[in-house]
Amino acid sequence: MSDSVENITDVEFGVELPAFAPDTSLENVKHHGEFIGWGSGRFVDHEIARSQGFPGAIVPGVMSQGFLGAMIHRWAPNAVITAIDTVFRAPVLVDQPHKINGVVTDINEEEGTVEIDISITNEADETRVFGTATARLPVDGTQ
Amino acid sequence: MDADIEELRSGYLNKDFDEVTFQLDATRMAEYAKVCGEIDPKFTDPANDDFQAPPTFVSTLVGGKTLPKDLPRPDGVGMDAGKYVEWMSPIRGGATLVGKTHLHDIYTKTGRSGRMIFFVTRMELFDGDSHIANADTRTVFREKSSE
Repeated sequence: MSDSVENITDVEFGVELPAFAPDTSLENVKHHGEFIGWGSGRFVDHEIARSQGFPGAIVPGVMSQGFLGAMIHRWAPNAVITAIDTVFRAPVLVDQPHKINGVVTDINEEEGTVEIDISITNEADETRVFGTATARLPVDGTQ
Repeated sequence: MDADIEELRSGYLNKDFDEVTFQLDATRMAEYAKVCGEIDPKFTDPANDDFQAPPTFVSTLVGGKTLPKDLPRPDGVGMDAGKYVEWMSPIRGGATLVGKTHLHDIYTKTGRSGRMIFFVTRMELFDGDSHIANADTRTVFREKSSE
């Protein structure tokens, strides 16, 4: 089976989305801070973050949400994400490897929509961010 | 529902308290897409014919106020507990969007450490007369347990 899907009929219930390694490096988070925002101390400086009670610098929530959206787009390039809800349960730490995860939990072939459980976990397999997304895929080749 | 929360809901829900105009910069949209791991040129290349922001980009659009100025603040520091995006149509570089913000929900959860109060702030984004997206931010305040 291909790692990506084109249409709603290609989607299988329960399938795990192919994931990529999200870039949580300090350099990438600083770049986000420069262009997007969230460039203050706790996001771009480990020492400042520790002085505020965090184990180290933290990845902005908007960036974590973006990793999960990118995972869906890579899996289904024709998909339109119509809703994405993310709960920030615990910090995603900068310079620490994390995994992004997605599982298809519902398919509506008539409407061309899928529901996906999404999460970000750390090396200890602890959930840091979780939520759900709804994506619309082409039905019979049309959006 | 607790009486104090009922009172907050009746006094503050669904009343616009902030309005901000955003001039969308295509470079900023593309850089956001790239740091998040997007690879489709329609998200990463402003020269692409179908260039648009990833839906999650709207979470980066921040208004002037996250809560009404006169809202009685719970004790403690508000923390960002989550974000929700509802996407309705493509967000294009160069567009001028107007974000209108209101409190969409107030609710509580009670855990071992005490009560947590959640405020859901919703920014409705408009491109002219078209409502193109909603961006919600959940802010949580943890009350200290009285025990």
